[in-house]
Amino acid sequence: MDIYGHYHHSLIQIQKLMMDRLESLNQQARDAGHAKLYEHLASRIKSNDSMIEKCQRKGYPVNTESALRRCHDAIGFRIICNFIDDIPRNLQALKNADWCTIVKEKDYITHAKPNGYRSYHVILDLTTPYEDVAGHTPGHYYVEIQLRTIAMDSWASLEHEMKYKHNIKDPERIGRELKKCANQLASCDIQMQTIRQLIHENDKE
Amino acid sequence: MRILLAEDNSQLRRVIVAALKTSQYIVDAVTNGQEAVDHAKQHPYDVMILDIMMPVKDGLEALREIRAAGDRTYVIMLTALSEIDDKVNGLDAGADDYLTKPFSLKELLARLRSLERRFDSLDEDVLKFGNITLDGNEQVLKSENSISLSSKESRLLQYLILNAGKELSSQTLLNQTWDDDDEHADNEDVWINVPYFRQKLQAVNANVTLAGPKGGPYQLIEREKPNA
Repeated sequence: MDIYGHYHHSLIQIQKLMMDRLESLNQQARDAGHAKLYEHLASRIKSNDSMIEKCQRKGYPVNTESALRRCHDAIGFRIICNFIDDIPRNLQALKNADWCTIVKEKDYITHAKPNGYRSYHVILDLTTPYEDVAGHTPGHYYVEIQLRTIAMDSWASLEHEMKYKHNIKDPERIGRELKKCANQLASCDIQMQTIRQLIHENDKE
Repeated sequence: MRILLAEDNSQLRRVIVAALKTSQYIVDAVTNGQEAVDHAKQHPYDVMILDIMMPVKDGLEALREIRAAGDRTYVIMLTALSEIDDKVNGLDAGADDYLTKPFSLKELLARLRSLERRFDSLDEDVLKFGNITLDGNEQVLKSENSISLSSKESRLLQYLILNAGKELSSQTLLNQTWDDDDEHADNEDVWINVPYFRQKLQAVNANVTLAGPKGGPYQLIEREKPNA
């Protein structure tokens, strides 16, 4: 089955629209003489199989309504930044944007997950020119955004590799090493941010 | 603890070995300075006890060679009672302590116990202040979150916690935390670590801050309320 039904096409259009909107926020920041908001963007539409699996796991009925309303990550974006300071700048830009509202925030940077995972997650409610699952136009769609630094992103890739490999010898040890590594990367992120602030500390005067 | 004993007097050697073994120490006993040097090269020791007057190679020469090889093991010299010069030469050659002959076994064992306490306390490198925990072995700062510290930061924070609430000058921190070989370190080096600390304390949501203006004095204080 196609869990997204005839909304699948809209999801692809909205993904493009979202990409354009984020790029435009970045351009506005650059035009105002600020540093770029992010280093790069990544996005995906959750695959049919993953979405079906998720609905089953959460105990939702396997249908389009569950996929687009009860789940919030059919469309997922990553905003990958050079520095930690860039993350609140992106959040502020999203809060100021008139085409979306933030419906949920999770700060896994201040409160890292026990395994060392760090990222700032937000769920956006996006207003789009496309019909939504409730039949409204302009339609509302959820988009999950993960904001993180390059270091956090590399770490997450490594952790992802471990999670989906089942033949690792001594996974507890690898887990401990990953956690240590996450602490060291967080330390480097803070060090870079501090140096950057020291470089710019006289800019305001 | 594993101990290397170099003593050429066989009767004294036997007595010391027996006393050390009774105290559950592992002992390697040798009879001259050259054997001491050879053993020091081959095995890891926690303490070395070296007599000064020995055949083949005396204790001072053995000690110099051991130190020249980069060995930092704690060394106790056994010196003759009257010879101040032996004590001075021994300490200058790199000894950490000395005992004058004749010495009591009780005193030797008490000194070893004191050393053991010192070694153990170095391993207990976990300090707490406010809602933060510093794990000096892992060089990690923990609170609601955790973050790595550099070795300098770890030493600095250890000193700050042990002296929490006191106003500490930049110079004091410099003397305490920077190695003697780092001659170029100055107050600016101390200062650059202050914003690192502030950011890291904030990153783990600590209720502890490092107060003080640029140039010091600095003071580690616990805030009333944790970070919002």
